[in-house]
Parts: sequence; C-alpha cells; structure tokens
Amino acid sequence: MLALTRKVGERIVIGDNIVLTIVDIKGDSIRLGIEAPKEIKIYRGEIYDAIAAENQQSAQPVDLSKMEILKGITKG
Amino acid sequence: MLIQSTRFGEIEIADSALIRFPAGLPGFPAEHAFAFLPYQPDSPFAFLQSATDPDLSFVITDPFPFFKEYCFKLEDTIIAELGLADDNPPKIVNIVRIPEKTEEMTANLLAPIVINWVSRTAMQIVLEKSPYTVRHRLFPQGLPNQAAKGGK
Repeated sequence: MLALTRKVGERIVIGDNIVLTIVDIKGDSIRLGIEAPKEIKIYRGEIYDAIAAENQQSAQPVDLSKMEILKGITKG
Repeated sequence: MLIQSTRFGEIEIADSALIRFPAGLPGFPAEHAFAFLPYQPDSPFAFLQSATDPDLSFVITDPFPFFKEYCFKLEDTIIAELGLADDNPPKIVNIVRIPEKTEEMTANLLAPIVINWVSRTAMQIVLEKSPYTVRHRLFPQGLPNQAAKGGK
C-alpha cells in the first residue's frame, strides 16, 4: 500500500479524475473531500463491508420449501 | 436469453426484460444482470436470479407491506443516474436473508435496491445517516399463519 503524508488543504490526485482533499483534522478524525466521476461509487469502508457481507449471506441458497409458509402473504 | 438456475431450472427471458445493475452489487461486483421472478401473484416476495451464475439468487421483498414507515430521500445524483422522473418513480425492493428459522427472516433496509422499471436499470444504494440497519425482522411477532394456527 502506498502511504503519503499530507497537510490540511493538500490534495492527492488519483488517475485523471479523482481528487482527495484533506479538509480538516481534529484529533484522530480526518475529514476528506472526494471528487470523482459519478460512476465511481464511494462508501465508508466498514459500511461497504457490512453490505457486502449481508448480500453474501443472503445469497446462500434457500430451500424453496422454506418459503411455502410465505404463500398466503400478500401486499394488501 | 436462456438462464440456467439451480433453483428454478431453465428460464427463458427476453434480454430487454433483465434488470441491469451497471455497478454490480456490493459483494458481487461482476453481477450485472438479473431476472426478476415474482414468487406468487400479489406476493410482496420475488427472486432476483443472476443471468450468469446459476447458483446466485436473492430473495427480495417489497418493503412497504412490512415497514409502513420506511422512508428515505433519494439523492439527486441517483435519480439522474437511473433516469427516474415524476412520471417514472422508482421501484424499491430490499434483499431478504432467510436464516435457519424462517420466521426470523430479515430485510436489509440500509441498502435498498432502486429500480427504474421502465429502463430496467437498477442499483443497490447505501443510505446515508440512516436509522436503518442491514437486518430488520419482517415478522417480529412470528409468522402470521403460524399465529392463526394457534402458534404451536
């Protein structure tokens, strides 16, 4: 992993169209500004991990017979 | 196209009917096309079957029959990216996790799937500053038909 030291107001440019700006530092919290094309999805790491893990657990094959009891349930 | 699926066998579906996820889904970045298969007429439940991985299908639900207060603001960038409009509102579904005890099934309200039903384009978004989590019980009081049976 590349590790760079930056000060408040300084930037990191990734490729041609992603710019990270160090906006503010308070104690152990760093506020980052991110400019990127809209097709680049940006997530907080731990939230992305939680969603990915939940998707993977939800994708476990479920026996269709387990859904039999849901048959009577309607949108009404 | 013909989709092979472990759960449903072979499914013939028009390419234009597939739901496209240009960005994939978190955890499944390479999955870009799914068939939307309703579970039963008028059921809130449906399946998303991957067009490329026979083993991959999600159970999804219309959240509103279960979570009447469920509400979030869709960011303008997402509305624009999906091409949604007042006369083409989004279809919202949530991925369901079915554990060993079916009645403990949960829906991921933190990361809804937003679908443009006309263009068949979709994305799983992550809500910002949201009170919701990845696991909300659909049947906190147990399954309704179990209750009707007197709950053994």
